[in-house]
Amino acid sequence: MNNELEISTELKEQLKQLVLERIGVMPNTLSIAVGSEALNKQDMLRHVQDEDETGKQIIEMELSFLRDLASGAIYANA
Amino acid sequence: MRSVLITRPQHDEINRYFHAWSEEVVDMARLRGSVYDLSGPKAIRKNLDSYIQSKNPAFLFLNGHGNSKNIAGHDNDILVDYRSSLPDTVMYARSCDAAQVLGPGLVEKGTKVFIGYTRKFICGYTPDKTWRPLEDAMAKLFLEPSNLVATTLIKGNTAQEAHGRSRAAMYKNFRKMISSTATFEERYAARWMWSNLNSQVLLGDSSISI
Repeated sequence: MNNELEISTELKEQLKQLVLERIGVMPNTLSIAVGSEALNKQDMLRHVQDEDETGKQIIEMELSFLRDLASGAIYANA
Repeated sequence: MRSVLITRPQHDEINRYFHAWSEEVVDMARLRGSVYDLSGPKAIRKNLDSYIQSKNPAFLFLNGHGNSKNIAGHDNDILVDYRSSLPDTVMYARSCDAAQVLGPGLVEKGTKVFIGYTRKFICGYTPDKTWRPLEDAMAKLFLEPSNLVATTLIKGNTAQEAHGRSRAAMYKNFRKMISSTATFEERYAARWMWSNLNSQVLLGDSSISI
């Protein structure tokens, strides 16, 4: 969230809900190592819900991907 | 080629993955010259400092947990931090965030090249495969392109080629993961690959080889 300070609390909450929804469809047959933490879906949901440091990083990662998906950046050459 | 030094702790689940997938790099380095493999409990600062002093390795490949200011080894013993000076070396840190502060600091102090991540290094994996990391096809998507940084350098290519080939392999896997032939797990994990792709950076002299 580049403009984190500029977005309203309401929008921030909506974005958080969006991320929670997206994590909600994560398959249980998948886990993720984020730094020193090994997380399953429930762990990720909890971190985002709590908005702790890991949760904020998960939110940023999801929103960054969505931005690049929308802008078409993911189809440009690496 | 001067020698290669690899740290690969294995005291937790994530490090076990990095440890197992680093074997390929250790094997290649052995074929090409000297390799100092600080594996498991050997991956501690005392050993690292000792090998750097006595063997002067050209390439350091560090696996382990990290943050913006340090990289850890066995039981999270801090291996590299603000006190470290690693001049005349090429370094690849498969650790989180270390390219934010630590990497630029090392390059300022004479490290020729630092390749690392400005954000968390993310690895998707399959919970059922944690005791057989090399059989985990999901982890392979993340760790194989990462290994390419090290193996490309060991083959004598430049740091730019190592960084570029790794990023190209990540992008290839990413495209595969968002394609219609991908599994649901792969499609879901594509966002994590995208994060790694965008956070891997090369600092220092990109024309250097070891």
